[in-house]
Amino acid sequence: MRIRHRVLLVTIVIGAVLIGSVALTSLSSSSEGPMSHALDRLGTMFGSFEHRMRGQLQGPGRAADLTWFDAYRNDPEKLRHPDVVLLGAFDSGIPGTLDGVIGLEHSLSTTLPLIQIYTAWGDRPDQDFPLELVTAISDMGSVPVVTWEPWLSDFASDLHPQIPLRDQRDRHGMAAVASGEYDFYIDAWAAAAAKFHKPILVRLGHEMNDPYRYPWGPQNNTNTEYIAAWRHVVDRFRHANATNILWVWSPHVAYKYWETYYPGNEYVDWVATGALNFGPIAQWSQWWSFKEIFGQKYPMLAAFGKPVMVAEFGSLAVGGNRAAWYRDALGGLTSKYPAVHALLFFNVKDDQTVTYQKVDWTIDGDSAVLRAVRPVIKKWAPPNK
Amino acid sequence: MRLRDRVVVSVLTGVGIAAVLRLADWWFRADHIAEPVLFALLSLAFWYGISRVVLGWINYAAIAKPAHRPAPAGHSVAIFTTSSPGEPLSMFEKTLAACAEIRYPHTTYLLDDTQDARFGAVAERFGARHLELIGLPGAKAGKINRALSLTNEDFILVLDPDHIPFPEFLDRVLGHFDDDSVGFVQVSQAYYNQSRSFTAAAAAQQTYAFYGPGQMGLYGHGAAVAIGANCTFRRKALESIGGHGIGLAEDLVTAIRLHAAEWKSVYVPEIVSRGLVPEDLGSFFRQQMKWSRGVYEVVFAELPHAIGALGWRQRLSYLTIGTYYFFGATTLLYLIFPYLYLWTGFQPTSMRFAEFIAETGPVALVGVVLYLFVQRWMCDRDTETGLHLKGLALKIACWPIFLAGTLLAIVRADIPYIPTAKESVRGRFLNLAWPSLLLIFIYVVTLLHVINVRLRASEGSLELSSGAVWGMLLFATLPVLMSGGAIRAAWQARSLPKRPPWDEVDVTRSGEA
Repeated sequence: MRIRHRVLLVTIVIGAVLIGSVALTSLSSSSEGPMSHALDRLGTMFGSFEHRMRGQLQGPGRAADLTWFDAYRNDPEKLRHPDVVLLGAFDSGIPGTLDGVIGLEHSLSTTLPLIQIYTAWGDRPDQDFPLELVTAISDMGSVPVVTWEPWLSDFASDLHPQIPLRDQRDRHGMAAVASGEYDFYIDAWAAAAAKFHKPILVRLGHEMNDPYRYPWGPQNNTNTEYIAAWRHVVDRFRHANATNILWVWSPHVAYKYWETYYPGNEYVDWVATGALNFGPIAQWSQWWSFKEIFGQKYPMLAAFGKPVMVAEFGSLAVGGNRAAWYRDALGGLTSKYPAVHALLFFNVKDDQTVTYQKVDWTIDGDSAVLRAVRPVIKKWAPPNK
Repeated sequence: MRLRDRVVVSVLTGVGIAAVLRLADWWFRADHIAEPVLFALLSLAFWYGISRVVLGWINYAAIAKPAHRPAPAGHSVAIFTTSSPGEPLSMFEKTLAACAEIRYPHTTYLLDDTQDARFGAVAERFGARHLELIGLPGAKAGKINRALSLTNEDFILVLDPDHIPFPEFLDRVLGHFDDDSVGFVQVSQAYYNQSRSFTAAAAAQQTYAFYGPGQMGLYGHGAAVAIGANCTFRRKALESIGGHGIGLAEDLVTAIRLHAAEWKSVYVPEIVSRGLVPEDLGSFFRQQMKWSRGVYEVVFAELPHAIGALGWRQRLSYLTIGTYYFFGATTLLYLIFPYLYLWTGFQPTSMRFAEFIAETGPVALVGVVLYLFVQRWMCDRDTETGLHLKGLALKIACWPIFLAGTLLAIVRADIPYIPTAKESVRGRFLNLAWPSLLLIFIYVVTLLHVINVRLRASEGSLELSSGAVWGMLLFATLPVLMSGGAIRAAWQARSLPKRPPWDEVDVTRSGEA
């Protein structure tokens, strides 16, 4: 063969393999086996070890600022009946890094006892129990709040022939969960969660009464089906002896009938809702105060007799005085809303989940907001031991 | 293959192929792509390696050993052995003495272009004919072809001059020519100097599986190849393809042409001679350079013509052999990726380290178990079995050479045909070891860099990046550990064994290494 032909042949063969490799990825799906689970545990242990080494070399880390919180994070009972307001945050750097949370803490001059993460049901490895992430959060002295979203369509049909096909799955999906069709996933998650031992707050199937947003909403399910699913999941966890899990029930209080989704006192540890002020940025929205979003519904939330969590807390900047919004929301919160025992900042930079344009919820760079927030939360923080 | 062995090989291969399919299903997942171009390159390197493993299994599935046929009396047989300027005279004394001891009646020819009268004298002393063949193009094969025209024996054994044949050599081979369609009979290749240095041991290890289960599998697939040494040809077969092939891969070229001309080949997995394997790293590198450049001619020059005339199993076998040295290019990719990630954060894939190990583990396990199982077909099980890590270390150390061979083949650049050195050549440590030392240097600097980065890492990122960073470092560590082999070989090359290796070989006895 001539040089030209050789180069051409090699180029074509290698090029075809390269393109083929990428093209092949469009055909596949898979789930994790026991061996990679074991290796994952090993990797997580190594990560913990590295974190401890860091502590040895560079002095105590973030956990040292949360020694007052140790009593809570070692005792689920105390977390069920907290006597303080536990602050927390979700940050959009998660799951890659928790630096965003630390950055927010620096701006707020505090250390947050709760860190929220979001994870969906499904086959992908990152949809397994998030061991690495909750371990990292725990090693840094906080308790994870896991918002656990039952996206039933994330399971691959070929791996789970016993469940309905993907496009038929959401319809009465909660009834299917209640009847045990998804126990293969729930049980594995529960077993891993039980092995973790330390408390985790799990916010399962949030905003279940919003008919537009999530497939576990009323467009697909009745409230009875939702409640049955909830109780089934909690029962599976109890069966797995996952007594370290606290259950956070979190309706969307702007939509009606949310109270009819309550699974019952025996099945709920915390009652939560979001309080996000979108301002006039969306057609359905206007500048609403914290009182309008949350305060008006508070009596009903508190009436369940459980500690109340504001699971997504924040205001956008457009359309009003943002600093005043925060000052107004937090000032006197403990006396106005004494059942509120957790408040989680929604520290998301490019949020596109609800609106068509990206919106910025972060407050790190808004010094007026920080000036308003800092003195209030300073008064709440218990002294360190 | 006996039934029991066939069952074991089939079951292991089945399990292995299932593991490979599972691995493929996992590997090609859309969410594994971090950088599409890098992912494609990694896939190329990775699946080249896996496909070599699977091709090996396919080869083992055909393992076959021909029943011995007694050599009929009356064949006219020639032994050709070649001498070139610079080759040691004492080696020829040994080889020609051994040829004289071969029991089956034959004529030995020394094909000589040394222009050194002593060679002719040695030939005469041991009853060999001396053919002075000077100034022919095509090096060794050129001399063979000229000698073919000067002789008339029906069967020609082409014997490498460093190989000391055993007296029974021809008796073990000639019977297979009873089948008129057999064009050549190849015997195993073994060595008598593999214990004289690390390089020799490693180079020999690289060949054990090939001359045992490897060639037996090729034979089963109808594609046992000639290997340039100790192959016995039917004159009619060689003449039908216009003589012995020429070039760096003259042996493979000859084999593929004979197969394309519908001659059959027989592989006799018996050790009926022992020869030399390179003892010093420099000679080994030069030999590998020659082969890695030459073997591509099978793909680029021979297969395009022969492909129509070959059966599909022969095509697959030759394609497998012809692309062996692409290993150099893929090794380069493997070396680069971890460092790219550790220094820049760019990575080809978002695969998790734990999953990668879990998915590749079964394939690797089956691969190792099968490799050990098929060692029951090694030609000399007492000395040849094992994991052959020295061989692997030296193969990895050869990646720059294989890569150069690959590129030279693509641009069709010529390199001279030099017979592999028969005596050790003193090498300068740094000349031979610098690629390995450079790798270790880069590794150490990278390790320090990583430790430094980890020490400064923020608490919020440290734990969540732990698996990825240390997993990558582990990948970078493996070739560094393997480079210890090349460094040891380079260190040994500073001084040489005093006596030539053939001094102690007794030509009247067969067997012992």
